[in-house]
Amino acid sequence: MQKKLIIQVALVAIIAFSLGELVFYYDAYDDIQDTIVSTLCLSCIKLDPVARLEFVFETANGEDHSEFVLENLTKGPIFIEYRSDVCKACDDMAPIVKDIFGLSFEKSETLYESIIYNGTNVHFYHINLDHASKMQMDSFSKYDKDNRKGVPMFVIITVKYDRGIIKPCYTTAYGTLGIETELGRRNLLTNMIDDAIKLYEQNHEGYKYP
Amino acid sequence: MNLRFKRLISQVIFFFFTNLGFKIEGIFPGIKSGLCYPFFYCHACPTASAACPLRAIEIGAYRGNWNWRYILYPILIIGFVGVLTGRAVCGWACPIGLLQRITGKIPKKLKKKYPFVKKIGQHRIEPYFRYIKYIVFLGFVVATPILLGFMFTDICPVGYLVGTIPISILNPGQFTPNEFFYLALVIFILFLILIFTIERGWCRYFCPIGAMLAPFNKISILHVSVNKDECVHCNICSDLACPMGIDVPNMERDPECILCGKCIEACPKNVIKFERK
Repeated sequence: MQKKLIIQVALVAIIAFSLGELVFYYDAYDDIQDTIVSTLCLSCIKLDPVARLEFVFETANGEDHSEFVLENLTKGPIFIEYRSDVCKACDDMAPIVKDIFGLSFEKSETLYESIIYNGTNVHFYHINLDHASKMQMDSFSKYDKDNRKGVPMFVIITVKYDRGIIKPCYTTAYGTLGIETELGRRNLLTNMIDDAIKLYEQNHEGYKYP
Repeated sequence: MNLRFKRLISQVIFFFFTNLGFKIEGIFPGIKSGLCYPFFYCHACPTASAACPLRAIEIGAYRGNWNWRYILYPILIIGFVGVLTGRAVCGWACPIGLLQRITGKIPKKLKKKYPFVKKIGQHRIEPYFRYIKYIVFLGFVVATPILLGFMFTDICPVGYLVGTIPISILNPGQFTPNEFFYLALVIFILFLILIFTIERGWCRYFCPIGAMLAPFNKISILHVSVNKDECVHCNICSDLACPMGIDVPNMERDPECILCGKCIEACPKNVIKFERK
């Protein structure tokens, strides 16, 4: 009996020590909080968000647009694909996005490319939230229009007229866009980009980098 | 205060803490912690306050991209609770246990009304069904996420109950079913049938977290013990009390025991008790 008690106490001590190590030295608590608890798990709810593609001016959290966005908007619309390492919908959507922009990259990679898309300069960002910089992480909550906190999230930022001023505006689509077929998803994304380019062409002359 | 009432209070308190993620504008911001539940609950629930341990393990092992922190963290939390109390969390803390406590009255009535229902529960192959939960855990939480990218959470009935349904109600028209929705719906319906026909049916046969906790019953500090010398084998504890269908008089640190204490209360000879060693 004494032997069993020693084993039990030793096990409790080892587990408690290892847990402490994971929490304090390896940030397991923060990682679980950021990537699981605070994020809407689309796999868990077995649902995909329906795409609503109206362009809006106000960022989702009310903060200013990110610096890299404001700067690149002088040269063309910006398309951002947010994803994480473990995300089936991201894996499903990645080939479509790569195909649209004619790019090839790894999912863990954070990538920026300036691309000529149908004759217009489009700035493409691939941001993996598990490997992103703080500025890129912060941009996620700015463009999470419907407060879904889920990935994949596709954002296109362009410029539009608002009561006398040309301002940045954006639209956001989530998950597999609520569409079952690959062709349908591709069409929706290209429509989103085409709309953004049209707005950009109409308004970019009046856009001033603040 | 009897054990049954104490357990109810404990389950209600844990249910409250499990759902501390709710927000009241301007009054309470909601708590979204970085902890993993040591029991079965889904972080997709709008009011959830911690993570599902299964999801963390799945993410850690997904397609062989090993992230040991995500695997070890929930295992250590469950291990810690397991060494201290074995499967007591199933009986005293798990919200799905609380749900089955409510639905458990129906299978009890069925057992009394239809003797064949009781016979099914006592069939000699019934104990083998209990291994299904280990297969579910190793198969769908560990193996398929590594090999196929398919995860238990894709079809989890608890995610459906506390995630899909409330989110669909709170956000009408904003979501559409994904490819696993209808399969998950079928599994959810089977889950409901199960918990309404077999007492603690989910815990007995399918719960992957029960599968993780069960081995700890063999070494846990807190456990239920039977004084076999004084037991008269009246079987009241097994036949009428135990929700897990355990042969209580002959049990020795049974992996299925959820330490609910019903056998302790039911024993006319007071030979069953909680023990700490």
